[in-house]
Amino acid sequence: MPALARTFEALADPARLAVVRLLRKKPRRSSELAAALSLDRPTTSKHLEVLRKAGLVKAELLDEDARARVYRLRRERFTELRDFVDEVEAYWGDQLASFKAHVERK
Amino acid sequence: MTTPGDRARVSVLVAVPRDVAFRVFTEEIDQWWRRGKGRGVLHLEPRAGGRLYEEIESKSGARVFETGRVTEWSPPARLVLEWRNVNFSETEKTFVEVTFEESASGTLVTVTHSGWSAIRGDHPARHGLDVVAFIRMNGMWWSEVLTSFREHAG
Repeated sequence: MPALARTFEALADPARLAVVRLLRKKPRRSSELAAALSLDRPTTSKHLEVLRKAGLVKAELLDEDARARVYRLRRERFTELRDFVDEVEAYWGDQLASFKAHVERK
Repeated sequence: MTTPGDRARVSVLVAVPRDVAFRVFTEEIDQWWRRGKGRGVLHLEPRAGGRLYEEIESKSGARVFETGRVTEWSPPARLVLEWRNVNFSETEKTFVEVTFEESASGTLVTVTHSGWSAIRGDHPARHGLDVVAFIRMNGMWWSEVLTSFREHAG
């Protein structure tokens, strides 16, 4: 499946969207995310795995504590989303500019 | 809560009253809608359930290419269409809402195109293209299909 569709699919879940919103502020451990969202640990892990497979987050090991993985957002996939919206907006921007020229000519 | 990337929104301010903006937007859509050369005639049926379609004459009669269906018709304030690009699968659709708001210097026309998150990239007709590439190829319209159709129709 193409990247953008995978991104949309991974985000089509309220819990995963909430994870993304939290990670937007700062990288967090899985346990912190679970607590913030009132989810159990296995469910949180499952959501993080979906996001990781779609390339939306990455897990990093902390030097000071090798057992703790911290999750952070990956910028690329979100840039693709932004580019996509820009593309659609450019299309409608063109149409509306044409409409404006036509309606004001009258 | 909107999925990121799901919604695109563009506005333009036009220096005419709201009822004129709505009427010209809909009744004269064929005159202002930007599309390729050798085009057919673009129609928007002015009612809920009405179609947005392009009609092209050919030797074998007129062919119709539908891209939109009106789900809300509320002149002069609001118009909503279900929007399907060519090669969307049967169940795939997006939504185009057009609002007309009065302002001191005329009318603010806003288009909001949403529902993209429901479009999957793996429909066979899409030849594995990502949604962005797919839309770029089609110019969000039926350009590819229409170009080949026009060539055949002569």
